[in-house]
Amino acid sequence: MSHRFCLSACALVLLIPLAVFAQTAKPWTPPHMPDGQPDLQGVWTTATLTSLERPAEFAGKEFFTEKEAADYEKRLLEQGNRDRRTGSAEADVAGAYNEFWFERGSKIVGSRRTSLIIDPPDGKIPALTPEAQKRQAARAEYRRLHPADGPADLSLNNRCILWPTAGPPMLPGGYNNNYQIVQSPGYVVILVEMIHDARIIPLDGRPHVPQNVRLLMGDSRGHWEGNTLVVETTNFTDKTAFRGSGPNLHLIERFTRTSPDTIVYEFTANDESSFTRPWTAQIPMKKTPDPLFEYACHEGNYGMEGILKGARAEEKKASGGK
Amino acid sequence: MRTKLFMIAGIALLAATVPALAHHAFTAEFDANQPIKLRGTVARIELINPHSWFHIDVKEPDGKMTRWMVEGGTPNTLLRRGFTKSSLPLGTEILVDGYRSKDGSNRVNGRDITYPDGKKLFLGGSSADAPK
Repeated sequence: MSHRFCLSACALVLLIPLAVFAQTAKPWTPPHMPDGQPDLQGVWTTATLTSLERPAEFAGKEFFTEKEAADYEKRLLEQGNRDRRTGSAEADVAGAYNEFWFERGSKIVGSRRTSLIIDPPDGKIPALTPEAQKRQAARAEYRRLHPADGPADLSLNNRCILWPTAGPPMLPGGYNNNYQIVQSPGYVVILVEMIHDARIIPLDGRPHVPQNVRLLMGDSRGHWEGNTLVVETTNFTDKTAFRGSGPNLHLIERFTRTSPDTIVYEFTANDESSFTRPWTAQIPMKKTPDPLFEYACHEGNYGMEGILKGARAEEKKASGGK
Repeated sequence: MRTKLFMIAGIALLAATVPALAHHAFTAEFDANQPIKLRGTVARIELINPHSWFHIDVKEPDGKMTRWMVEGGTPNTLLRRGFTKSSLPLGTEILVDGYRSKDGSNRVNGRDITYPDGKKLFLGGSSADAPK
């Protein structure tokens, strides 16, 4: 039955026209909620093979041709297939398990861009400021010296607190790239499947929380500019670091529904103390008929115990079994 | 029903980079120097996050039965593909090719899980893509 489901799902994917993005130029009016908000409700997926940054081999090339895109997709699917076991034992362990557990998508984005980053034009995250480099180096050094002394040394995702792609900003990852958007008068809520978070975004123009209140996912405020939902997020902590960002990150996200099945999601990362210039990425979100499934991470996190026990076993080995 | 436990000496080959997409760094929990192949019957299934766990009963060479825990990925991907607990009845024989936990307990990561005839345990295509 699962196979039949896959066949029909795959066939559906193949039938999706190649030019949804081109259609965005045509005027299309999204449906509206009873309170007048454009309707973004539904479950959406961001699964895509396109990487955030442009791979070095495509330096200077902003878009693929159709043929190049097809060849690149084929190559990525072959390279990334975890059923291949041709690397070292370490790579094998890091590969975790068979391909069937992953849902990374099978296509690059419809614009055929070579990166999700659309600005700067080189498709790369701008250089970090000396301050951000210093901060990153200090973190790396701490991780090297204290990889797993106790639970608090493990990353936020290992601790089931926050997934690095959950955002904001929200980025595609290896699986569970699903988001449910729910709207009510005065609010937009984005439920993130990885790893259980609900982003509650007030639309009533209230100010951000005071500067001394810092939140792992920041403090979001939204407003509509025409049919585009604009969300500004500030008040981040020094415990999260999005590609080198710091607590001063001022993130601007834009959600524009361009067709019944598509939301174009863009975010701009502004953080003068971390990046030498702002940068912007664009990620298409596709409507999916599948429900969002619960991801009750903490209650089943046997990995925490396994990692700590693994670290103690390594220490014992290093000290000659004492 | 033949059940066997194979332990294979690990050989570290050339280092290669595999992006860490899973919930945690598997190399922190499982030992690349302890590859292991198990053949056993499914005794319990935990379709839980962040990782599924398959408990299997394995007959060791001396005839003693031992319970092993095998780690898989998020059950959410399986559910989206129509897989439920009833898709893999208890008592089904499976082969597990993985790596043992560093602390020496009876836990392995299920690097590859197959039926005894070599068929993959779960058939799955890719999920929906971002729009073209």
